[in-house]
Amino acid sequence: MIRLNLMLLLAVLMSAFYLVQTQYESRRLYAQLDRAHSQGKRLAAEHEQLVVQKRAQATSARVQQLAVTQLQMRPAHPGITLYVSDASQVSGTHAGSGSGGSAGPVRQEPVTGSWGSSARSQLEGQP
Amino acid sequence: MSRSIAYHASPLLASKTPVWRSKFIVGVLAVAFVGLGARAAYVQVIGNEFFQRQGEVRFARTLELPANRGRVLDRNGLILASSVAAQSIWAIPEDVDKNHPRLPDVARLLDLKLPDLKKRLSDEDKTFVWVKRQVDEPVAREVEALGVKGIYLRKDYKRQYPEGEAAAHVVGFTNVEDKGQEGVELIFDKQLSGTPGSRRVIKDRLGRVIEDVRDAIPPQDGPDLELSIDSKVQFFAFQKLRQAVEQHKAKAGSVVVMDVLTGEVLALANYPTYNPNRRENLSGEQLRNRALTDTFEPGSTMKPITAAMALEAGRVSPQTVIDTGPGRYSMGGFTISDTHNYGALTVEGVIQKSSNVGAIKIAQKMSPQEMWDTFAALGYGQKPKIEFPGAVSGRVRPWKSWRPIEQATMSYGYGLSASLFQMVHSYTAFAHDGEVIPATMLKSSEPVVGRRVFSPQTAVAVRKMLQMAAGPGGTGQKAQTLGYSVGGKSGTAHKQVGKGYASNKYRSWFTGMAPIDKPRIVVGVMLDEPSNGQYYGGLVAAPVFSETVQQTLRILGVQPDMNVKPQIMVEAVEESF
Repeated sequence: MIRLNLMLLLAVLMSAFYLVQTQYESRRLYAQLDRAHSQGKRLAAEHEQLVVQKRAQATSARVQQLAVTQLQMRPAHPGITLYVSDASQVSGTHAGSGSGGSAGPVRQEPVTGSWGSSARSQLEGQP
Repeated sequence: MSRSIAYHASPLLASKTPVWRSKFIVGVLAVAFVGLGARAAYVQVIGNEFFQRQGEVRFARTLELPANRGRVLDRNGLILASSVAAQSIWAIPEDVDKNHPRLPDVARLLDLKLPDLKKRLSDEDKTFVWVKRQVDEPVAREVEALGVKGIYLRKDYKRQYPEGEAAAHVVGFTNVEDKGQEGVELIFDKQLSGTPGSRRVIKDRLGRVIEDVRDAIPPQDGPDLELSIDSKVQFFAFQKLRQAVEQHKAKAGSVVVMDVLTGEVLALANYPTYNPNRRENLSGEQLRNRALTDTFEPGSTMKPITAAMALEAGRVSPQTVIDTGPGRYSMGGFTISDTHNYGALTVEGVIQKSSNVGAIKIAQKMSPQEMWDTFAALGYGQKPKIEFPGAVSGRVRPWKSWRPIEQATMSYGYGLSASLFQMVHSYTAFAHDGEVIPATMLKSSEPVVGRRVFSPQTAVAVRKMLQMAAGPGGTGQKAQTLGYSVGGKSGTAHKQVGKGYASNKYRSWFTGMAPIDKPRIVVGVMLDEPSNGQYYGGLVAAPVFSETVQQTLRILGVQPDMNVKPQIMVEAVEESF
C-alpha cells in the first residue's frame, strides 16, 4: 500500500514538474514568437520606408531634371516621335499606337485615341 | 539487552498536564484548518472573480494594435502619400539633467534651439513632454546614442509625400496625429484611417508578452486609395503653370486636366504651392486650392456657352450673321465695346474674334430663364459634385431678378462667377457630344453616362467654333500644339476690386479641348494678375494649355491627329548583307 502511494506521489510530482516545464517553455516560445512578430512589423515598416524613398528618387521632377542636366535629353514631341502601328490592333477601328521614341509608357487602352467608335456605342447602349 | 528508560512510564516524567490543554491545542489547530479551508474556499470559489481580476490587473495588459493608414496612389499605382515609421522623442522633465554636456547635441540633432529645449524640459510638474515628434529614424537613433537620461523614443508614423509640391493641393496632408487636414487626405480620412485592433496579453516581469488572454482583434488597415490623378500629367501641368506664373509675374495660377471619356481629373495644380513634407510657415496663399475654392468672373470663356444655348434653342445657326458694328453697344447707361470694330460676323466669327457685342446680340435672342436653365444644367451656381473639400458653388443670381444689362453682361462672362474647375467641367458638355459628365477624383475605367444639355450637333458646331478661336484669325492661336488639333476659348476679365473693376488688374483664362474631332481631354488654365506686360488669356494662359495638351496626350498614348513634319534625322546606314 505504501509502495503504491509512493509511486503515485512520484507520478504526481513528475507530472507537476513537467507541467511547470511545459508552461515555462510555452511562455518562452510565445515571447519569442511575439518578438519575431514585432520584428516582422519593423521590417515591413522599413520596407515601406524604402519603397517611398525609391519613389521619391524617381519622381517626374527629378527624372526630368537629371535627364536634362546630365543626359542632355529634351522633351519628346510628335515631331520627333515615330508612331508605329500595332498589327494586332490595326485590323480594328482603333488607331493603336505603339510609341516609337516617346519616353512615357503607352497605356494600351482599347479606346485610346478614338472614343468615337467603341465608347460611343457603349454610351448609346445606355438607357 | 539493556532496557531503555520507558519515559512514558517514568513516574518522574509523568506529566500532570490537564487533558484540556491537549484538547485545546487540537481544537485550535482544527479551527486554524477550518479557517484555511474557508479562506481557500473564499479565494477560489466565492471571491474568485475579484482575485482573478486583481491578478490580471497586475500582469495582463491590453495592447492597442494601430491600423496603418492607407496609401494614396495615382492612377498608375505610384505612391502620392504613404505613412512610414518615424520616432517621436519624449522626456520626463524631472529626470533630465539640464546641464548635461550632451544636451546641446540633442538640440542640434533635433533642429531645436537650446533655450527652447531647456524651456520645454523645465516644467517639472509634468511627467511627460514631447521633445519633438516624427523624427527620422537615423536621427532618433543618434539622439538615443547620446544617452541623455530621461529622454526616450516612441514609435510613431510620419506621412511622406514623394511627389512634393506638384500634387500638394490634390493630396493634402495629415497632422501629427495622422488625421487628414486638407485635400484627399481630409475628405477620405475615415476610409484611409482603418480601424485599430487590440489584444489582451499577460506580460512577465521583464515586460515580455507570454500569453494571449483572449483572441486578438486584428487591426483593419486603411485600404489604399487610387486617385484619378496621373502623376506625370500632374507634374507637367504644374511645371508649365509655374513657368507661366513666374514668366508673367502673376500672383497665382491654376490648371485642371480632365479625361472626357471617364470624367476623371487627371491633373489639378495650383501655384503658389507648398511642400507637404515641410509645412513650417505656411501661408493661406500657398494652401489655397484655387482651382476649386476661388471663383471669378470667367469673361470671354463663357461666350461659347452663350452661342451653344442659342444654337440649341434654334435661334441662330453657326452661319447666322450678327452685326457687331460699330464695335460698341449702349444699354441702360453702360457702353460695352469690342477691341476692334469687326462689323458683320457670323456666330462662328463672334466666338472666333471674341466679340462682346456679338455675344450680347446672341444672348438677346434668349430669355433670362432659358439662359439660367442652361447655366444650371452646366453646373454653374452649384457646388461641383466632386470628392474634394472646400469646393465652392460660384454665383449665378436667380433669373427673375436679372436686369437686361445683367443678361447682356453674362453673355460674355461678367456678372456671374465660377471656379476654374466648374469652367472645365462645363466644357465637357462640348467635348462629350452634348453631355455634362460627372467628375471624379478617383480612378475609374468605365465610360461615364452624362446628362444631356446640348444635342450632339450643337456640340460639334461649338467645337468647330472653338477650333476656329484657337486657329488662324482667332484669339487663342498660341493654344495650338504640334500634332494635335485643339479648340478652346481664351478669356481676359478685369478683376473686381471693391465695387468696381480694376483697370489694370486682369485674370486670364483659357479653356479648351483636344483632339478637337474626338476630344479626349479638357484643359483649363487660369492666371491671376499677370503683370509683366502681357495679360490677354490668349497670350498668357494659352501657351500653358498648349504644352499641357501636348504632354498629356502623349502620356495617354493618343496618336496625333494632324500630320507632323517629321524632324527625325535618319542617320542609320542601310546594312548590306
